[in-house]
Parts: sequence; C-alpha cells; structure tokens
Amino acid sequence: MVPKLRLTTRIRQQVSRVAGELAGVSIVLACLAVSGLAQEPAVHYWHQGIMPPGAIGSRQLQRGGPLAGFFQPVEIKAPQGVSISLAVADHFLPPQEAGAGTMYPWSAGGSRVGLLIGSVYRLRVTNIPRAEGVEIFPTIEVIDRTFAPVDQQVRFAIPVEIAQQDLELAMEGKFVTRVIYLEDPHNALPVRNSESQSWFEVTPGHDPLAVADELGRPVAILRMGARVPDQGPDPNFYFGSPAWVKYPPRTAAQAKPVRETAPARPAAAPAAPAAPAAKQP
Amino acid sequence: MAIILLGVLILCSCRGNAPPTTNTWSPSFNPQPTTTAPNPVVDPQGGYPGSGLNDRPADDQAGYAVVPAEYIAPQPQPQPQVQAYTAAPIDGPCIMGMPGMEAGVPVPYTAAGPWIPPGIVPPWPADEYLRDGGNVGPPVAVGKNGELLGLQMEDTVARYNTLDGRTLVEPSNKVDLYSPRFNAVRQVVDAEVDQQRHRASGIALPVKPVMPRTSEPVALNAQNLRAVRDIGTNPAGQLRARVTHATLDSELLPRAFDNGFRPFENVSVIRSGIYLGSDAPVLARGSQAAIAWGSAEGVHVILDERTAAALVAKQKLQETYAIDSAPNPRLRIVKAASTPVAEPGDEVSFTIRFDNVGNQPIGSVQIIDSLTTRLEYVPDSAQCSLKARFSTQPNEGESLVVRCVLSDPLPVGKGGVFRFRCIVR
Repeated sequence: MVPKLRLTTRIRQQVSRVAGELAGVSIVLACLAVSGLAQEPAVHYWHQGIMPPGAIGSRQLQRGGPLAGFFQPVEIKAPQGVSISLAVADHFLPPQEAGAGTMYPWSAGGSRVGLLIGSVYRLRVTNIPRAEGVEIFPTIEVIDRTFAPVDQQVRFAIPVEIAQQDLELAMEGKFVTRVIYLEDPHNALPVRNSESQSWFEVTPGHDPLAVADELGRPVAILRMGARVPDQGPDPNFYFGSPAWVKYPPRTAAQAKPVRETAPARPAAAPAAPAAPAAKQP
Repeated sequence: MAIILLGVLILCSCRGNAPPTTNTWSPSFNPQPTTTAPNPVVDPQGGYPGSGLNDRPADDQAGYAVVPAEYIAPQPQPQPQVQAYTAAPIDGPCIMGMPGMEAGVPVPYTAAGPWIPPGIVPPWPADEYLRDGGNVGPPVAVGKNGELLGLQMEDTVARYNTLDGRTLVEPSNKVDLYSPRFNAVRQVVDAEVDQQRHRASGIALPVKPVMPRTSEPVALNAQNLRAVRDIGTNPAGQLRARVTHATLDSELLPRAFDNGFRPFENVSVIRSGIYLGSDAPVLARGSQAAIAWGSAEGVHVILDERTAAALVAKQKLQETYAIDSAPNPRLRIVKAASTPVAEPGDEVSFTIRFDNVGNQPIGSVQIIDSLTTRLEYVPDSAQCSLKARFSTQPNEGESLVVRCVLSDPLPVGKGGVFRFRCIVR
C-alpha cells in the first residue's frame, strides 16, 4: 500500500501563496517584455536603401495606419521633351511627352498620378535629350503618405523628379537612388527652391534612406539605371502592374510663375549724416 | 489558473516585430499590394461604411480617372459589376493589379483631413505644417536693459510699458499653414561596386645572396590591388551663402495703410477689436485663436477711458458699472493668415490686430514677429493703421524678425492693425 502524502492545511496555503506570487511576477514581466517588443520607433533605420524595390513599402504597410489602399498623389517631373510611360497590364502605355500643356514652374513638365503605397511602378523614359533611342526604366515606390486637407491632396502631390543628370548617369551604367522626403520645417533649409528640387548627395557606403530619415520623413524612392532589364512577358519586370490613378494636370491658374525677387534682407542702414560743412567766413 | 492567464496574455499580445511573411531579400521578391481581395463591405462610394473616412478630394472626384491595370483572366468570363469597387466604367477594362483581384481594387478610404491618431492635438502631422505665432519656447521676458529674452523662431509677441513702469509681454495666438516641402537624397553607385579586381603586380625575380651574411630584403611585394569603387564626385548639394550685415536693425518709414479689410480679416475682432462668438470658427480654422481669450473679454464697458468693472450687488436686479481703481494694463493681439494652405512660392499675408483691453494707457508698444525659416519677409510690405515705425532683424533661422513700434501711446479701448506679407520658401 502506497503511503498517501497528506499535507497539512498550513503547508498547502504556503505553497498556494508562493505559486500565486510567482504567477503574478511572471505576468508582470511578460507584459513588460511584450510591450517592449511592440514599441516601434517612427523611423526607417532598420530598412536600408539597397533593399529590393517594394521591400520597404511592404514593411511600412505592416506597421499599420491608414496606408493600405491609399492612392498617394505623386507628380512626376522630367526635362522638357522627355517621354514617360507607365505600365498597365504588363505593357507600357503610349508615351506622353513631359511638359506638354503644363506651366509648372519647377520643371518643364509634370504629370500627377495616384500611386498605391507599398507598390512598385515601372516607368519607361524615352526621347531623352542628346540620347534619342535610349530607354531608361526607373521604378517609383511610395513608402509613406501625406495628410493634406481634404480638397488639397492633389495640389500637394509628392514631387518625383527625373533629372537630366540622373538619366545621363543611368545611361553610363550607374545606379541612381533618390529618396524623396518631407522636410522637417524646424530643420528646413532657409532657401527658396528654384526650378529643380533640392537634393543632397550621399556617397556610396552610406544609406540614403537613413540620411533622408534624419532630415525628414521619407515618402518615396526613385531608382534607375545599373542595367537594362530584359523586356518580355515577365510580370516581375512590371511588378504586377499595380493600379494607378491619373489626375488632371495643373492648369494655368494653378501654375505660379517663378519669383525673381531677391531674398529678403534687412534694408541697408540709413547713411550716416554728413558732417556739417565748415562755415565759410 | 495563473499559468493559463499567462499563456493567454502572451498569445494575445504579440504585435512585436513579426517576421515578414515573404523573403524580402530574395532577388525574385515581388511585392504584393496589401489590397489582396475586394472588401465585400465597401460601399458604392468607395469608403468603408460608417468609418467617416470617405473624403476623397473634391477635385479628384471631378477630374480623376482610374487608369486600368488590366489583368487578362485565363478563361474569359463575364466580369462582375466592378464599379462598386473601383469607380471604373462598367464596360471598361477591369482595374486591378494582380491575379485574385478580378473584382477590382477597392477604392481606398482616404483618411486625410478629419482623421488623426487618437489623443493627438491637431494639426497633425506636424511636419506638414508651418507654425507662426504664439510663444513656443520658454516665456519671452524683458531683460534689465530692455532686451527681449527667449524670443525664438515662430514667436509673435507684443511688449509694452505701463504707467507704473513695468514692461509686459503678451503672446499672440498660433497660426498654422499647411505647406509641406519635399527634398531628395541622391546616391549614385556603380554596378561594379562589389567587385574586387586583382591584377598582376609584376614578376618576382629572386636574387641570389651575394654574401652569406647579406640577405636581400623583399624586393617586391606582390600586393593585390583591389579595385576601388567608383567614387563619384559629389558636388555641393546646396550653396548656403551667409551675408553679414553691417547693422542688425534698419528702420523703415511707415507706408500708406490700406483701410480696406481683406476677406480673411473680415471678422469683428479684426475690424473693431470686439470679439464676438461668431468669430471663433473663422479664426479657429487656421489658428488657435479661439482659445486665446475667454468670454470675460467679450464685452467691455469703458467709462472715462478706463475699463469699468461690474459691482456685484445682489440686492439689485441690474448691474452697476463703476471705474475700477486697480490698475490692470493689458494688451491683446490676434494674428491671422490669409490662407490655411500655401505652396512654396506662394505669398501669405499676416494680419495682427492689437487692442488695449486694460484700464490704463500703455506706451512703447512693440509687436515683434520672429518668422520661421521657411517664411521670407517681403520687403516694404509692412503697414499699420496707427503711426508706427517698422524694422527687421535677422534671427537664428536665417529669416527675419519683423518689428512694429507704435509712435504714440495706446489709449484704453483703442487698437490697430499691423500687416505684412511673406513668401513661403
């Protein structure tokens, strides 16, 4: 016969109390640990600019917020005469010449489209000045959105500029990455933007996304160059041809002339009063 | 029981850094939009029912066109009525981006405008707005020598002297302008940046020892020269020119004052200095003026050019006003902007209304506005309804501090308007 262990009531109470205390401490520690893991700083530092197109936007969507399915207005700018085509159903649309019918002062032309956040859009750039016949296939990835007033979303579209210098570098085989960021107004440059968008140069070895994150909030990435992709039925080249929305171009009333006034400086101090002339005898 | 609770808690609170479901480092990585399937509860207008977030721009509704990203289904079959999801023509091509979305891409909810994260004080997000006015940092004070201490960018204050010799500072309300500005960071790399080229450094010729005790040092060091990556010359991205000024202050003679009130100034507090309750929504549209003053300042009774205070007499039905003998100097300033939104290059007019709402005259009234970095003062644009002198002074943000100094003391119940224009950089 197996002897039956019988605990006294006092021992059972002590064991229950110790177990309860341990459980309570465990719950508190588990809550702290889980809450600590759930803290996500509002930066992109764990991303890198060299990540493949679409990776950063996809990770951005996983962070939640009103990003998924939002068509972020984007204004694509290019030098005068350059033709730009967007892909639809794994085919490029007929090219549209930049600058036709627009009077936007920052560039010769521009077109405004709505792009999904997290998707990658393949463009075809042709009719490049001094390089007719050459085609460049940039990609645009929108990784964040703006929260413009209800009736001002298209007006404050994110400008994505395809500069002539970038096109020439891409034709030389270089890989150009432009991270467009929303400037922090407290760290803004005290200069007035001219015809082209202000940009900083980041040397190889540095992460342009991290640099842009220090200066503001990255919202879009433009990549171009490095190699000529194989065109064909491969849908990966078009990244699935995600849907996009076309907005009407800027009208003449919306376009503003470039101001030529000089920057405001303090007015010159009034000239010192001239010394009184000596009295003539 | 405790173990069960612990397990449930851990399983229910796992919003940590979840690993991505796809291998984002794979070369064949193909990002998929998150709109993987049409939401069956999307309303015909494209918003989520009951969410209150269906706020597509007015001009978008008027002129936008959804460009179809057509997907050719393997077997032709009649397409469902996709207009409820896509706002595309029914007889047109289906807009979609990938297989599995034959019904179209759901028109998303646009959370701009009314939507802000809970618990956040608008305007939000702050990096899309320019703020000017108020007293952002530590309170602005007057030093021993009369200088202003603590005046920072975006501050708008008024200083004045009282009859008893004090110098007081009164901040204005804040004005917010929606004016995002975008810049870019560019990086140019070579496709051969990761390649290491090794080339022959030469032919190693062994040299025989001339003497037994002589040893030749290594004549040739076969060092593989690694190809240096293409370091692009990086021209200066920005040329920041600083112009040193010979003097800090410059006085400008007052110009003519435009007596006509502009549309954004057509509120009672700007016209006459009397704050009405109906002004609050107009001012609150672009500022926080609605909370800058309370109802106690709504009606003022002036007797003998001194503010009267109500004598509380419970034995009478009416209120009796008498002159308050206690000195209570006070200046109220209200700031308003001509527009709540501005693009870089736009011109914005600022109007500052100042009133002596105290019970004694004040003197040496100065209205000081330290402009933020992205606001550029338009030269000679300052004007005042009273006789005043204007001056400018550089601030730490490479913008200007605009100053309006009234020439005469400001009597009780009197006020004026100070205007100037700025260009958004």
